Amino acid sequence: MAGLTIDNVTKIFEDDDGEIVAIDDVSIDVADEEFLVLVGPSGCGKSTLLRMIAGLETVTSGTITLGDQIINDVKPQYLDVAMVFQSYALYPHMSVRGNMSFGLEESTDLSDDEIDEQVTESAEMMEIADLLDRKPSELSGGQQQRVALGRAIVRDPEVFLMDEPLANLDAKLRAQMRTELQRLQEDLGVTTIYVTHDQTEAMTMGDRIAILDDGRLQQVGDPLTCYHQPANQFVAGFIGEPSMNFFAMDLTGDRLVGERFEYPLTDALSAAVEGRDAVTFGIRPEDISFGGSAGEHAFEMDVDVVEPKGDENIVHLRLADADDEFGAHVSEERSPDAFVATISGMESVEAGESIVATIPPTAVHLFDATTGEAIHNRSLDNVDVSPVE
Amino acid sequence: MSAIDRIADRVRRYRFGRSDEESTSDARLATDGGHRTGGLDLGPEFVQALPFWLPAGLLVALFVYGAIGWNFFISLTDWSGLQASYWPLDFEMYTRFFGKVLEGGLLGGPIEYWSFRNTIVLLIVFTVLTLIVGLLLAILIDQQIRFENTFRTIYLLPMSLSFVVTAVFWQWMYNPRYGIINSALETVGLDFFAVNWIGAAQFKLLAVIIALTWQFSGYGMVVYLAGLRAIPSDQFEAARVDGAGTIKMYLRVIVPQLRAATLSAAVVLMVFALKAFDFLYVIFGSRPGPGADILSVMMYRTAFDTSQFAYGAAIATILFVLALGVIGPYLYIQYQRGDL
Amino acid sequence: MSTSNDSIVERATTVPRKRIGLYAALLAMVVLYLLPLETGLFTAFKTQSAFQTTIPVLPPIGNQITADPWFQAFDRLWPALGYSVAFVVPATALSALFGSLAAYGLTITKWRGQILIMLIFVAGIFIPYQAVLVPLTRFWTSIVNIRGLLGPEGSLVALSITHIAYGIPICTLLFRGHFKGLDQSMFEAARLDGATIRTIYRRIAFPLAIPMFAVTLIYQFTNIWNDLLFALVLVRGEYEVVTMALQSFTGSMVGQYNLLMAGAFITALPTIAVYVLFGKQFAEGVSGGGA
Repeated sequence: MAGLTIDNVTKIFEDDDGEIVAIDDVSIDVADEEFLVLVGPSGCGKSTLLRMIAGLETVTSGTITLGDQIINDVKPQYLDVAMVFQSYALYPHMSVRGNMSFGLEESTDLSDDEIDEQVTESAEMMEIADLLDRKPSELSGGQQQRVALGRAIVRDPEVFLMDEPLANLDAKLRAQMRTELQRLQEDLGVTTIYVTHDQTEAMTMGDRIAILDDGRLQQVGDPLTCYHQPANQFVAGFIGEPSMNFFAMDLTGDRLVGERFEYPLTDALSAAVEGRDAVTFGIRPEDISFGGSAGEHAFEMDVDVVEPKGDENIVHLRLADADDEFGAHVSEERSPDAFVATISGMESVEAGESIVATIPPTAVHLFDATTGEAIHNRSLDNVDVSPVE
Repeated sequence: MSAIDRIADRVRRYRFGRSDEESTSDARLATDGGHRTGGLDLGPEFVQALPFWLPAGLLVALFVYGAIGWNFFISLTDWSGLQASYWPLDFEMYTRFFGKVLEGGLLGGPIEYWSFRNTIVLLIVFTVLTLIVGLLLAILIDQQIRFENTFRTIYLLPMSLSFVVTAVFWQWMYNPRYGIINSALETVGLDFFAVNWIGAAQFKLLAVIIALTWQFSGYGMVVYLAGLRAIPSDQFEAARVDGAGTIKMYLRVIVPQLRAATLSAAVVLMVFALKAFDFLYVIFGSRPGPGADILSVMMYRTAFDTSQFAYGAAIATILFVLALGVIGPYLYIQYQRGDL
Repeated sequence: MSTSNDSIVERATTVPRKRIGLYAALLAMVVLYLLPLETGLFTAFKTQSAFQTTIPVLPPIGNQITADPWFQAFDRLWPALGYSVAFVVPATALSALFGSLAAYGLTITKWRGQILIMLIFVAGIFIPYQAVLVPLTRFWTSIVNIRGLLGPEGSLVALSITHIAYGIPICTLLFRGHFKGLDQSMFEAARLDGATIRTIYRRIAFPLAIPMFAVTLIYQFTNIWNDLLFALVLVRGEYEVVTMALQSFTGSMVGQYNLLMAGAFITALPTIAVYVLFGKQFAEGVSGGGA
């Protein structure tokens, strides 16, 4: 068990057409026994980073340290890490027992009996003890995944590496395995680095999450910090589902002026935007509330589409008097007068209804219009984010 | 837009749309950890891999490439009979050969001309014919027939036979007196076609081509069947729905997509045509005459019957260069595409 | 396309008509394809007078039937059959083995330049044998005097080794295709599990290559057994292999077509048997690389 340090690591792939910078100067400190999630959109480099730790890709510059040993040039055979692959990578011609014993046979001096013991133990932990003599082709997807996990656990490594291990499972199974994995990791206390593109997985599973985009580290921190205090617009938009509402605004006097609405600034907000002409205005769907009368920070809106999820309702809104200049919006493109709000499942609204939506200034996030950096994040003062007594 | 154009358009969009999908997910995999640089560089991996490929590589280097080089060297000498005269090294053998070829083709003319000409004719006619027959067979088989496996097994059977064996059978079939071919033609009343297939100079080559096509069309069928099956069935259905007649559908929509299959099959067939020896040797011996002599037989005769080793080596080199001309571009394209 | 009841009925009766045409074409092709074999087979069972007087396509009847040609042909050919087996079996096995090893070293392992080397291997598939005949004869007499070292049986050894060398390119290509089709992350997992390159071949690549061994063994057996040219050039006199023996038959058995046909079948029997039993593997070999 040891901590992992990724220090100014860069990875450049050389193609026939030129260079591709897959990882750009990334530094992360992973503490011993920590569960770190590497998350980001497809192509952001998270898998590449994981593979560099595993020794399956070379490091162009920077160092990766495990414990007190630099492992840049250590070959995978000699690293004490175990990896779970997205495709599970089970050996099809060996039984489950064979699959789980392989690692111990090849990298340790243990006797056959000792190996058998450890395999049985791990198999019981993963609840696949009754499958030990089956071949992978005879197992379901979920079972195969457990075998892949079991194969990693039995090695008792210093680090677990997981490359989107739940991606091939159906939704229900995925949710179930999420919880199991967390429990498992806590029980075993092994440093774990987990790669996923699913921000829900990242939020629910990680002690800390590291968000990558285009090879660059956007933010590292615990999930709630990343959620409430995003370092930049990318993080703010990536974390949270449905994602934050963004609007381009210009600063005019004491208000922010967007294409379709204006937002008067409070003192706190004014101070933040000091010296800038343009910002990106952000508000999370769950911070928009309904009811009351129109005012400075409350706007008349028409309900466009309602997605009832049971526990909550996702409401797509458009500012009243939308003169359809922007046409009916189609999924990805959000027109400058469209909002998404999340309200309790118990509140009901209908499409076509007119309501008043309040955007509280305390929940507003502001980002630099050019760099995307966060200028001002919502304050948590009035919100109860304290531990339950 | 006519129905056919609409179909072709749809095919194009389908194909490119699909490959777009693939490339996005592939791109995701590639940049999220593909071995773009071949992973680990020269070093321990290279050394550890050596014992696996080096012995085989040495055998190939010696027996294939070394031999080719040596053959070329011999062709530059004047070696014939017992005297191994290695000097002077020159291209005399080649000028001699091409000189004779250029002398041109009366029946009594230089055999080099006929050999060269027949080789080219065989190359082209055999390849085209085999591809066509192979395609037809593949199309027939692809129609979801019963006993598909049986039919396929029968059509591919000739490929499992030695050319010596098939030469014996075809020689018997072509026998002017007892052979089935002439018997059948006479029975049907087509006496005119009941010629001396392997005796008369003008028919020999045709007889050979027919027999070789028979033997190889199973290969063409296999290749085209794989190609046809790679085309998603929706395209056939879409074409049908759009009202395309069967023949038109095949010609305008399906066949163009078989380009890759056609190319690889054509290369294999052409190279085979260049080295076809066994069949002709069994039927005609080493002297088929101007009607059917081809470079591969001529080479054997020159080197081993008359012991003109240098001249024979030159002919062999010419054959090799012809083969190179066929496979070189093909392999290059495959390498560039990364299909290797 | 109209949807009226009439056209449904129409379709119900026209469809079979098309299918009949299809099957007719297929059967016609079957006849064409089996014709040479069929006439050969029937002729092989006919007496001398019979095949001279009957139509070749027709089977022998009554006093025309005789199995004598087969016995005579077998009598003449069986030593050659033995020699063929002697050189074909090792050549087949070793070319397949070398092919799998080479493919592993050029595909599963990762190092610079391996694609180029692979290309050089693959190019060897297309070499016309004529281009190497003269050097080969010189090699096996002057440089490695195989007959001097091993006696006349040396011819068969030389032939075997030559076929191994010439079989390696296609076998390598076939195995490479097979290896590339496997889940590559499995090999990475094996590395992380601590296995060395050698162990990965032994415990993972080789067991998983068994289906491809079936293909290459079948394919190589057929090709090597059927070859004539190399045998003609490399084997001297006494140890004639079966293809050579059959070929000299055609010269010496003039007019005795029934014997000749029987001889042809005897020569072809092993490859036909292999083909009938393992047709799928043979087809895979054929399509995977080419003749």
